[in-house]
Amino acid sequence: MSTATAPRTVTGLLPADQILTGDAAREWAGGRNVRAVLLPASAEEVLAVVRVANETGTPLLPAGNGSWPGGGGWTGGGGMVVSTARLDSIAHYEPADLTLTAGAGLGWRKLAAAVEPNGQWLPVDAPGVGAGTLGGAVACGVSGPLAARYGRVRDNVLGLEVVTGEGRLLRIGGRVVKNVAGYDLVRLFTGSRGSLGVITSVSVRLFPRPGADVTMVFEGGVDEMLELAGAVRASSLPVAAAEMVVGGAGDGRLVARVLGGREEADDVCARLVAGIGATPTRTVRGGESEVFHGRRAEWEAGAPLVARMAALPDRLGATMRWAREVAGRTRGEVAADVLGGVVRVRGASVGHGMVGVVEVLARARREMEAAGGTMTLSDAPEEVAARVGWTGGGGGGGALAEQLKSLFDPRSVLLSRCP
Amino acid sequence: MIPSTLAKSLVEICGPAAVILDEDRLLVYESDALTAYRHRPGAVVLPRTTDEVRAAVSEIARHGLPIVPRGAGTGLSGGAVALDRAVVVGTARMNRILEIDAPNRRAVLQPGVINAELSAAARPHGLYYAPDPSSQTACTIGGNVAENSGGPHCLKYGVTSRYVTGLTVVLADGSVVRAGGQGRDTAGYDLVGLFVGSEGCFGIATEIEVGLLPLPEGVRTLLGIFDRLEDSGRAVSDIVSAGLLPAAMEIIDGPTIRAVEDSVFAAGYPTDAEAALVVEFDGVEAGLDGEAARAAELCERAGAREIRSASDENERMALWKGRKKAFGAMGRIAPDLLVQDATVPRTTLPSILKGISEIGKRYGLVVANVFHAGDGNLHPNILFDRRDEDELERVERASKEIMRLCVDAGGTITGEHGVGLDKKHHMPLIYGNAELDAMWGVRRVFDPGGVMNPGKVLPDETAPGWSGEGEPGVAGDLVAGDLVAAGAAT
Repeated sequence: MSTATAPRTVTGLLPADQILTGDAAREWAGGRNVRAVLLPASAEEVLAVVRVANETGTPLLPAGNGSWPGGGGWTGGGGMVVSTARLDSIAHYEPADLTLTAGAGLGWRKLAAAVEPNGQWLPVDAPGVGAGTLGGAVACGVSGPLAARYGRVRDNVLGLEVVTGEGRLLRIGGRVVKNVAGYDLVRLFTGSRGSLGVITSVSVRLFPRPGADVTMVFEGGVDEMLELAGAVRASSLPVAAAEMVVGGAGDGRLVARVLGGREEADDVCARLVAGIGATPTRTVRGGESEVFHGRRAEWEAGAPLVARMAALPDRLGATMRWAREVAGRTRGEVAADVLGGVVRVRGASVGHGMVGVVEVLARARREMEAAGGTMTLSDAPEEVAARVGWTGGGGGGGALAEQLKSLFDPRSVLLSRCP
Repeated sequence: MIPSTLAKSLVEICGPAAVILDEDRLLVYESDALTAYRHRPGAVVLPRTTDEVRAAVSEIARHGLPIVPRGAGTGLSGGAVALDRAVVVGTARMNRILEIDAPNRRAVLQPGVINAELSAAARPHGLYYAPDPSSQTACTIGGNVAENSGGPHCLKYGVTSRYVTGLTVVLADGSVVRAGGQGRDTAGYDLVGLFVGSEGCFGIATEIEVGLLPLPEGVRTLLGIFDRLEDSGRAVSDIVSAGLLPAAMEIIDGPTIRAVEDSVFAAGYPTDAEAALVVEFDGVEAGLDGEAARAAELCERAGAREIRSASDENERMALWKGRKKAFGAMGRIAPDLLVQDATVPRTTLPSILKGISEIGKRYGLVVANVFHAGDGNLHPNILFDRRDEDELERVERASKEIMRLCVDAGGTITGEHGVGLDKKHHMPLIYGNAELDAMWGVRRVFDPGGVMNPGKVLPDETAPGWSGEGEPGVAGDLVAGDLVAAGAAT
């Protein structure tokens, strides 16, 4: 059969070894029900897949390497995943420019290993950056506690290549650190969770790795740690990140990370300890500190339910109360970005008390929104997400968001939840 | 002149003092700091509140007239020029800081607040607003939001976009949209990020929430004097490669140094030097001396013949003076000044600077460079007299060559001044039809009727459905860069 008469199907576009079906697909998707996983190896292949998906009405779910299944939502199950995992090469890296351009499927560990010999890093500690991909983190757009020092993920993305839902290849932004040419579509696609397009390549700004990385751990009761968190937040010392963790047993832990030159870091640590009037139970430095935070970035992995609540940092106590209610219902843990006011809940089990979980999540959403904040689900069983809603009304600009979605994905080919 | 019914409505909405109809008074609004483009608006209205903006915008749109949002008019791309006798909606009277929330390091303000005044108001709380365009004593935060403004200290701290966390925006149809707010983590598309830098084409920001930073405890400022411009560019690359992250790195070249030293702004730079490099570090006191010493050593190794350092605030101001007053001083050399704003990868600085110098020589023009070297954000200034037609033509050609040189090196056409009217015809140098279509599409989501700041940012001939009639461009081909009144700041 000649190509001209062959039925155009999405799967017909790729070599067999770039298509997973059946058990292999399910395994790739962490046990979730998908028809196929497509692994295009170039932006052109992504483009071809999306174009044919438009012609044939095949729903697609953009993904990185599938390490954060909830990141894009799986609503509508039974669709085809289009994964960027094979787009994993570094196209351009000029250490002296502190910029890097790579395929969206580049793993964070590979990225870190490539820039580390030059004393550089991409200081992003967003959930999932360990096992996940560069494009995945950009698509999800969420930040970790280090955003206090280095900005959010979106602040360090210089340019993107995307295949829109309509099937157009866009190269937006660039690879220079200052660029105001045209409208900032890079910001729009960052955090759009694959709902507008498939990110195929990313240019980022790198940073010199600080000479010293020191993490101080304080331990005590929850109220005591909350008070300490307030003192860290009020301090004008340059603390790079601060996180408070409350375990299932109600034990509290506050972690403060200080980055800088050795002399600077030692000075900041000493003055912070004196200023807040507490002594760390543990201090880790250098590689050990990094490993510590690397583990923190994996904190959400594998949890059946992850909720994210955000309000102004000085409302941390109230946000924490709602988070702890959710945690209480789900045998969960709570981690709060002290400087950013973001509190995450990692639920270990939803099973038996589903109704109760839905109720407490819905109430948390109401209360957070009433106080000007947000409550979003990063991951949840579909039946919970369906009843609670992934994001609620905190996004603002509802009609604009819908029009932007239909501008870039007019036939709603991309399954990903509109954030 | 606008229809009398519209004038009457605007007076009813904002009061008689807030509506300017008199042709002489409208002259003030005929250009921004890029004076090559002059178009008198049909009227100017200066509302005080979101409600007044909403009502005024609805009325103007109902009369079928275009709207041009305007802050202080310090922009350098012709973005606030009123084509086709558009009505200017100015934010000058929306100048209240609504809240300084020190515990959360944020402020909520109206768009007409002047950049430096925000930092001054935050200072008693030990805080400041980081983006510091050189026009910061005059430019407004609303203007900064529209242009996504930068400034010398953006090297370490990032540009406006990083600091804007929430917006209230009035759209062309008179609807009010609130996006973001209350800190950094919000749900949904990043409409705030999309709006910042939209150059008045999406709507008018009437309330802005920004993040503030604690004032740095200490500052160290160095000035390296070089005999070769390329060496100063190499010093910048070496400092970055060494893992240092200065707050600012700025280069002033020989012609600029001589202009400054010949002027009332003389800063004591040696006039036989070919470059001066300002390097500044800030942060906690501990370690600052070490960083400054390391940078000084790298400058020397790159060929600096002399290093000066400031030991107090007065000396620091003296070191910065040549940089800050550079544009003002150039007015002595020539009546007109064309400033470009390309950004290039930092490692290409030495070769680009050399290339720019060669282009200047080839066209017999004086090119003076003063720029944000750490970011690779160049501001080559071509000095000329617009009354000399031959010179004007050479300026135009040299300018285009410089732009092409920067784009070919992997750069972009504007790092911080915006596209506006001036650079819209250069957009196809860096974007193809797909990208320009996408930008048109997004613009129409916000403003389906094409009411807000028409004729800016996107070349008309790239508009979907453009008929191909007429010549592209308004005054765009006069010169290819920013033709500024000498004395404007950047």
